[in-house]
Amino acid sequence: MMSPTEEDFELELRSLPGVLNVEIRKDEYGEVDAVTLIVFEHDPEDVRVEAKHLVSLYFPSAAVVIEDASSAIVPRESLAPRVALVGASFNPENGTCEVELNFTGRIGIGRGGSGQLFGGAEATLLALRDLGFDVPFYLLSVVNVATTRGWPVVVTLRPFSDGADMFGIAQADSDVLSASMATLSALNRFLSMSKNAS
Amino acid sequence: MTALTDDWEAPTTETAFGYEPWLFQLMLDQLEEEKELDIGWVYSVLEKLAERYQLEDVIVNIDVKNFGAQLFRLGRRAISTDLASRLGATPGVYCNPDVVPEVERDAVRAACQLVLSLHYARYIAGTDFLTKIANEITFKAAFEAACANSARYGWAFTYVLIDIDEFKKINDTYSYSVGNDVIRRYGLAIRRSVRSGDVAARLHGDEFAVLLSNAGGHEVAGFIDRLRFNLGPLNLGPSNLGPAIENVTFSFGSATSPRESTDHDVIEDLAEDRLKEVKKKKGFTR
Repeated sequence: MMSPTEEDFELELRSLPGVLNVEIRKDEYGEVDAVTLIVFEHDPEDVRVEAKHLVSLYFPSAAVVIEDASSAIVPRESLAPRVALVGASFNPENGTCEVELNFTGRIGIGRGGSGQLFGGAEATLLALRDLGFDVPFYLLSVVNVATTRGWPVVVTLRPFSDGADMFGIAQADSDVLSASMATLSALNRFLSMSKNAS
Repeated sequence: MTALTDDWEAPTTETAFGYEPWLFQLMLDQLEEEKELDIGWVYSVLEKLAERYQLEDVIVNIDVKNFGAQLFRLGRRAISTDLASRLGATPGVYCNPDVVPEVERDAVRAACQLVLSLHYARYIAGTDFLTKIANEITFKAAFEAACANSARYGWAFTYVLIDIDEFKKINDTYSYSVGNDVIRRYGLAIRRSVRSGDVAARLHGDEFAVLLSNAGGHEVAGFIDRLRFNLGPLNLGPSNLGPAIENVTFSFGSATSPRESTDHDVIEDLAEDRLKEVKKKKGFTR
């Protein structure tokens, strides 16, 4: 827990116009040595003057860093919630894969029985459909390829109707995990456009 | 108005109320330790949420009146500018991995918003809006406590009353906004000049008061020297006020407890009389 002084200090920093985020960094002795402010839609130099006054009152030797978030332009689509991979596992006894996904708190589970590579990708598609996504693609190929840094898995999906194939690549601790991540990677653009799972 | 009748039943689950019990418990724990609900608590919530769901990262964006959007990140870390510009537009809780149920994220966001509002309300209630030093209410409480300690334990303090010379002229010659800027700069200079443990306040208008703790009277000269130094325009950053700020002077009067009295009315009157005397000598009225 911060001392009351530090909490009020942060409150004062945050009440400066345009300040969106604050980081108070401490050195190895626990002394505040730098304050970073993320500023949005305000003149960073105006904020710097005010912040320097304020910081000098509490921690005279601390540096003030101002970063301007206004110049970082990001498309609104990226605000959409994303599908998260919770887990992917392979059961060697029955040769099946199980993939668990999460979308805005809802869980989708899929199972596939064609080995770690194909089964992992297949289970991922089923988990997406379990979440309510209408995925208009089928699995064309799942292969792992030799590289100097290991064996990443490449997944190719083909649309049911006309259209280009989708490719995804990923490398994780196991083939089933790689296959699942590569499937999601292949569907990345499709999923970001499809905001609502029905 | 809805009357409570016999067929009314208390909700049996947390979802019926739409809140998360662990959040409520975290609030109670904080209050039971006689700690205030403030920004520090927001970070505690993020830590708890990360622990519950084994999150690598979590950010809450809350939109509070008088602040606008505010982003808090797990571990009190800074947020990259592109992420900040993305998340700054939409209040909510963003988790990695995205596994926290929506109802729980909503509860976290609402609780954090409430606590930041409470912290700000508490802060602003005791602070002068223009100068960000203590206001008269906060100062009076500290002054009375200092007098009581002085009477009981003999703890010394000095009360200093400061008044800007011919402040009305600044308002009349320039404008009220220039006058406000002069007051703001005095507040900043006073704040810079006091030591840790001293209390500085704007009482009203152009009148300031300072309690120099553990001070038997000699410390006043040091404080006034620091104040004069800090009032130098160069020490207060760029100003476009020109002569309006550079030629402003001030007068002060002080009284010391317990040497002169331990009664706050007497101390106040002594400092006031001395201030008037200085003003008179300068040819100003108060």
